[in-house]
Amino acid sequence: MAELLQFVITGIAVGLVYSLIALGFVMVWKSSGVANLAQGQLLLLFAWFAYSMLTLNGIPMWLGLVLVLIFSLVVGWLMEKVILRPLIAQPILSLITVTLGVAFVIQGLTSIIWPQGLAALPRIFPQEAIHIGTAVVSPEYLWAAAISLALFAFLSFYFKYNRTGIVMRATADDQKAVQACGIPVTRIFSRSWMLACALAATGGVLMASIGGVTFGLVDTGLRSFSVVILGGLDSFLGAMVAGPVIGLAQTVGGGYLTPLTWPGVNEVIPFIIIIIVMFIKPYGLFGEERIERI
Amino acid sequence: MDLPAGIRNFSYAQDMAIFRTKTHWFWLFLLMVILFTAPLYWANYWLGVTNLIMITIISATGLNILTGYCGQLSIGHAGFMVVGAYTSAILSDRFGVPFLLALLCGGVMAGLVGMLFGISSLRVKGFYLAISTLAAQFIILWVISHWTAITGGTMGMPVSPAQIAGLTFRSQANKFYLILVVAIIVIYLAKNLVRTRTGRAFVAIRDNDLAAEVMGVNLFRYKLLAFFIGCFFAGIAGSLFASWTGFISSESFPLTKSILYVGMIIIGGLGTTVGPIFGVIFIQLLDVLVTHISPALQSAFPGLSSGFVVGIAPVLFGLAIILFLIFEPRGLAHRWSLFKASYRLWPFSY
Repeated sequence: MAELLQFVITGIAVGLVYSLIALGFVMVWKSSGVANLAQGQLLLLFAWFAYSMLTLNGIPMWLGLVLVLIFSLVVGWLMEKVILRPLIAQPILSLITVTLGVAFVIQGLTSIIWPQGLAALPRIFPQEAIHIGTAVVSPEYLWAAAISLALFAFLSFYFKYNRTGIVMRATADDQKAVQACGIPVTRIFSRSWMLACALAATGGVLMASIGGVTFGLVDTGLRSFSVVILGGLDSFLGAMVAGPVIGLAQTVGGGYLTPLTWPGVNEVIPFIIIIIVMFIKPYGLFGEERIERI
Repeated sequence: MDLPAGIRNFSYAQDMAIFRTKTHWFWLFLLMVILFTAPLYWANYWLGVTNLIMITIISATGLNILTGYCGQLSIGHAGFMVVGAYTSAILSDRFGVPFLLALLCGGVMAGLVGMLFGISSLRVKGFYLAISTLAAQFIILWVISHWTAITGGTMGMPVSPAQIAGLTFRSQANKFYLILVVAIIVIYLAKNLVRTRTGRAFVAIRDNDLAAEVMGVNLFRYKLLAFFIGCFFAGIAGSLFASWTGFISSESFPLTKSILYVGMIIIGGLGTTVGPIFGVIFIQLLDVLVTHISPALQSAFPGLSSGFVVGIAPVLFGLAIILFLIFEPRGLAHRWSLFKASYRLWPFSY
């Protein structure tokens, strides 16, 4: 039982970080219809940047994290402005492939700028392990979960009450109507990219504080796609619910299936879930089903 | 339309001909002579590069049928190659199946696996399909690298050189002929496939799948067929790759390769026969250039980071993909047809 509790707690915590990363994806998808497959590479980039700021340059913690946030906003703004703006109204194939190109560029840049390939962030959170019942949980997991939940609450309010948030939802609903109301849609696109990159930065730093800055962050980003698929592409709630489900499946399923199958099964479980969801309920738990009629 | 002034078609056979004029035949003949005599005067290194280019062309042609003609984006193409590679290697090495048969079996196996993951294409498209092929890539690689009893696991497995009717393809030049012949057959098949009912059905599905269905195209059948054919070519390419390198492991086919394949057909030009050829040559030559120049640059400018050699290739590939998508989405094939048109019409550009 002790190990089950352990699996459940770490699973939910990691899953909530997945949710955070998935939220960034859903935001861009809803407002501009771009599928950002560079998510994993963005995580890697921001984690490395945080490492440079905190460890290499020895900037105080709070200032370093603020700088990471600002950097992520700039990256988001640049990506939208330079790469995706010229491709507005192109077929989805181009929009997916261009983010794959971005993924390549970021991956190359990170290995040029930070050639060591492996690093540890300084401790952001207090060290003592926390005992919950019989399980021993390192505090990073709980902090990651708490921060994800807080951000989700903040985003819910933001989309409900803030003007920009409401406009973003409206853009997701009907771009032409928003344009007709005199709101520049392109500005909304760039805001949602900036917000998505800020979420990726948070997710990247949280994941790196748990597992270190490694190339595995890219795989984390790829695994978060299973959250998006399971929750439904256009649903924030879906992403938030599906994250812990995937996280649980990964730790609990991985923990109990590894003796039965081959090692490393926890890393493919999210992908197996993707395939299963595609067969049973392709638009996810909370996604809007597109029924096409003539 | 594409004919020089003064030449008209008087029969359907002439209208359908791929090589219509004497000039076409002349250029084809010249190209074939150059290709088939290449091992006489090309250095071994360049033969190796050409072999890799041709293998990649075979695979990219398959992806082009699936993505370029049928519109089903796949970012797991390297995963399907690995299926073909292992199938043919195991069949020919463990069970003594003749190479050509093993090659076909590799292709068929890859095609079947592709169809399995392509079933979801009936209900979803666009991004969903991309993710499900991405998942296919990860699942296939995981199975390959852990099913130790059959595949040798992460250690990989050696592959003996191809043998056809007593001939063993050991040297780079021998393999060159083998791969060249297969590549020519594949390009010929692909070119003709897209001119049949099947090919037109693919294009109809790509342009508007609802309209295609209304016109009597069986979506399920043709989408799965596209997956089968695309992955069949990938499997053939994978088998050839295995016998070319003499060693395979799951690490020879990472996700980045799958992405690069998509990049290649985008750079070359989606939905054209020459597109994949141009795209593959562009990317592979860029790769060769980078591997030669970056160590030199590294030693010339010691200030460069030590990761420069590793990192510069992905940056350039990514930039190429982005720049082509923004500035020339129709790819090199479009440029090529513009060039041909201006060549044909010169000096009167109308």
